[in-house]
Amino acid sequence: MPQTVREYTGSIRNTVKSFWHGLSITLSYLARRPTTVQYPDRTPMPVRDMLPPRYRGFLEVDTAICTGCQACERACPIGCIQISLEKDPANPKQRVVTQFDIDEAKCMFCGLCVEPCPTGSIQHTREFEATQRHIRNLVFRWSDPLKPFPVYKVDKNAEYYPRVPLGSLVRARLETLAWDRAAPVFLPPEPAGAAKPAAQPKVAAAAAAGAAPAKAAAPALKAAPTNGAPAAEKPAVVAPVGAPAADGVKAPAPAKAPAAEQAAAEPAVTLTPETK
Amino acid sequence: MNAKTQDLSARSGKTARGVLLATLAFGFGLPTVLLAAVLVLSPVSKPAMLVAALRAVGVDLSAWSPNARYVLWAVVMVVLALIIVTFAAVISGMTVWWEMRVSARMQSRIGYNRVGAGGYFQWIADAVKLLFKEDLIPADADKLLFRASPYFVLTGFALVFVALPFGESLIAADLNVGIFYITAVTALVVVGILIAGWSSNSKWALFGGMRSAAQVISYEIPAGLSAMVPVLMSGTLSMQGITRSQGAWPWEWHAFTNPFALVAFGIFFVSQLAEGNRTPFDLPEAESELVAGYLSEYSGFRFALFFLVEFGNLWVMSAIAVTLFFGGWQVPFAGPEVFAAARGAGELPGATWWGLQVASMLVFVTKTLLVLNVVVWVRWTLPRIRVDQMMSLCWKYLVPFAFVTFVATLLWEILVARAPVASHVAGGAMVAAMVVVAFFFARQTRQNISAVGDRVDFTNW
Amino acid sequence: MEKLILRRVDRQNEEMILNFGPQHPSTHGVINFLVETDGEVLKRATPDVGYLHRSIEKIGELVGYPGFMPYTDRVDYVAAMFANEGYAIAVEKLLKLEVPPRAQWLRAISCELCRIASHLVSVGTMVMDIGAFTPMLHGIRERETINDLIEALCGARLTYNYHRIGGVAFDLPEGWRDKVLAFLDHFDKFLVEYDRLISFNEIYVKRLANVAVIPGPMAVNYGLVGPNLRGSGVDWDVRRDMPYGAYPNFQFKVPVGKGYFGVSGDSFDRYYVRCLEMAESSKIVRQALESLPEGEITAKVPRNIKPEAGEALSRVESARGEMAYYVVSDGTNKAYRVRVRTGSFTAMSVIEDISPGLMVADLVALISSLDVVAPEIDR
Repeated sequence: MPQTVREYTGSIRNTVKSFWHGLSITLSYLARRPTTVQYPDRTPMPVRDMLPPRYRGFLEVDTAICTGCQACERACPIGCIQISLEKDPANPKQRVVTQFDIDEAKCMFCGLCVEPCPTGSIQHTREFEATQRHIRNLVFRWSDPLKPFPVYKVDKNAEYYPRVPLGSLVRARLETLAWDRAAPVFLPPEPAGAAKPAAQPKVAAAAAAGAAPAKAAAPALKAAPTNGAPAAEKPAVVAPVGAPAADGVKAPAPAKAPAAEQAAAEPAVTLTPETK
Repeated sequence: MNAKTQDLSARSGKTARGVLLATLAFGFGLPTVLLAAVLVLSPVSKPAMLVAALRAVGVDLSAWSPNARYVLWAVVMVVLALIIVTFAAVISGMTVWWEMRVSARMQSRIGYNRVGAGGYFQWIADAVKLLFKEDLIPADADKLLFRASPYFVLTGFALVFVALPFGESLIAADLNVGIFYITAVTALVVVGILIAGWSSNSKWALFGGMRSAAQVISYEIPAGLSAMVPVLMSGTLSMQGITRSQGAWPWEWHAFTNPFALVAFGIFFVSQLAEGNRTPFDLPEAESELVAGYLSEYSGFRFALFFLVEFGNLWVMSAIAVTLFFGGWQVPFAGPEVFAAARGAGELPGATWWGLQVASMLVFVTKTLLVLNVVVWVRWTLPRIRVDQMMSLCWKYLVPFAFVTFVATLLWEILVARAPVASHVAGGAMVAAMVVVAFFFARQTRQNISAVGDRVDFTNW
Repeated sequence: MEKLILRRVDRQNEEMILNFGPQHPSTHGVINFLVETDGEVLKRATPDVGYLHRSIEKIGELVGYPGFMPYTDRVDYVAAMFANEGYAIAVEKLLKLEVPPRAQWLRAISCELCRIASHLVSVGTMVMDIGAFTPMLHGIRERETINDLIEALCGARLTYNYHRIGGVAFDLPEGWRDKVLAFLDHFDKFLVEYDRLISFNEIYVKRLANVAVIPGPMAVNYGLVGPNLRGSGVDWDVRRDMPYGAYPNFQFKVPVGKGYFGVSGDSFDRYYVRCLEMAESSKIVRQALESLPEGEITAKVPRNIKPEAGEALSRVESARGEMAYYVVSDGTNKAYRVRVRTGSFTAMSVIEDISPGLMVADLVALISSLDVVAPEIDR
């Protein structure tokens, strides 16, 4: 509140002066170009191409050069990467990756998994658009359990690792994803008795992942560390019937496991064959 | 999904020609049609003109009973009233669109640009959306008052248009207490706001309503006092009388023929901002303090009514300021004798007269839009003042200065009566001073752009 | 708590309780203020925090040392770089690591850019709380440029996760340095324009000057830090007084509230100290870019980080004031305890004492002038 005449007139003078400056600045902005980028449809090029190369978008794994070292899985602070390795039944010297799941919905895009990768197989891409009605569509399975990929043998003399163009794999995946596509079911489709031999490791791995909290099966199958929550089998982990699944694995005949996991799956989801 | 994005990326931001034409046709057509209706109906709604006009089309009213004639006249008046209220709603919607565009540019944004060319149809889309929204009434609200308050606000707003001159003969009713009437009916808005604040049963709304009551009632005083200055200068309260006492050129306007009237205009402008709850006086709905103030609990159509009034008030306050201080609808080179000559002696006016009416309406609308832009501009520049500062501004600055201008105008009028040249000298000097100020302001604006290394670029408007 | 207050309120005097939050436009996140008012004038305002608690400190005990780094981004997402730096320094102390100079310089550059970005949000939202919208978006616009720069540097715009234990994650991208210098040239001019646009606006000054004064001793007693403390006239800056990283090599002033338009410690001082700090940060970034040493960007860090049992405390000057990380190791690969001391939390405590006699609009000014960020209060 003004106490003196000087303050009284001074506040009027300051008002005029500061409004003069303020109004002239806002007026001047009418003659400048706005800075808005009209994502997504009115950009000079797709926004992913405008992003810097270091942008941390969806993770991409080039399975051709994945050594199966599981360094990324260990580095991930939230355990959204799930890797399982098996011996190839056909070639006992060759190890195969039967499961390489990345839950992109859980991923916090920190980039810690990229750093320890010896070959640069796992990388962040500049892809970021993947709206999905069913969040489980965002679990990217880089290894087809029916056709596990063999681990890459690092050539000590190689100067570089032959990696596919960054982002091409993720983009191919995303383009097949309609936003309202039905969620996949990460469970074996057929009864264990009818399972093909190739599907056998998958059953075991899935069951092991589901039973990880039970700890019984985990060491036996070299499955995920217990702090890394399995990415795919959320319902199986949450449901108490995960424990019988562990029994099924420990027993030589895995007959019980599919039934238990079916019980654990969400009833709303229809059981469809593996699509990836 | 990605393929779709790709397609869209390929699309440029250019508007299709059809959309552009439709927008232009609608954007100019709708107000033009409404203004044309006002143009025709407001002279015709006078009883004598109505009789003459109907006789011209072959209907003889003298055969009708007096009651039937009254009914007919009432019907015409109701149609005129509906047209004017519709015009108010349309102009309020267009103001929303324009304000959003301007504010976006001031903030380096693009603003509305999707619905129609320049996003013009956005206000219609918003209005439709508001009409379809669920009409919520809080559980413990006073339901009757809660429902009633938007109509108080709308009534107070719409009644102003009765005495608002759009042109030489384009006024619904040229009341001889015009400006007094406008001041009186505007106060009805605060009743509505107060009811809204109280009946919502929300503390935020109550705060908003109380602030609004304190604010509007306080600022009635400087607004009324400063409106007295042009009244003193023209010797009448009638809006048409005040306009007629000014000339068409800036040096004949009230604001520039009397140095104190310019100060009075400043006071009037600030008071009108406060009465219209515009920034820097948007305390009743201060979103960072009171969430939405008295509007907090409103939704749907009731909210739309409040919104309409808020933006329609821009037009009203600008129109009143233009009428009082900036020569209203006065057309250059067209004094009262020109209008009289054009009208002719017949019962119905001639075509030239209608042309002059159109010209006067255009002048009025242009001036009003200019003042309206200033209000928009001020809103997007200034922060909000505090409630005690709002009071102190009113009672310690505006009211004393309004009294000073009031008394000084009395003395000035005595001087002008003795020496009429004083008003011409003041007019010339003040218009010259305004031009100089405008030049310096434009220069300052230009320097602002180069000072941060930007350049003038209108390409994306 | 509500019951407690309800008992105190004297219904006879028409006082009322206003739940100012948890969802309110000007609480800058999810905070609740239980406000006892008599009309527009506050009797008192009691902050009620905890709505945004995410157990970040507990997470620090559950994930490994490097794995906690992305979580520190979430401590204060407006200025994530400082949280990164504080944690990295604490673990480096535990490991007795020497960080290479280039990494330290890069840390300083990224942190000062982040400080500018954070202060732009702070002063912008402050102006918005006072009722002007345009300057806020001007601030956000400049911040976008910084976000783009940091995105080019480390790949993320908000949760940077740029610092690593023993260094930083990336070296400068090509052409980045020129982009930063060009931005800073523009930014210095922008600051002048911003001051003309709003800082010295008479309404704005009148809204803030002499409002919610926190005297220097009181600020110290309440543990205020950073610009809030300096706004009260206390000349304390960790970067200068307890130097860490590359800061001893830079010349910069520490702006202190002098009562620019009112008394020292009022809301305007807290606001304006931030404006001045942005200019100083700009100077620091220039100096750091000029004197950037060559060399490694990370020290040799074992892949499996297992510090010896012990404890370490790091203090960094965050945008919201001194941020301290206290990390206790028990010799395993996970921390025994991680404690984060943040400026926003202590800033909340002063509100209850300052608020009596303020008006509702002043409370908004006080909250925003303290520049509290809700996740930093609750962690």
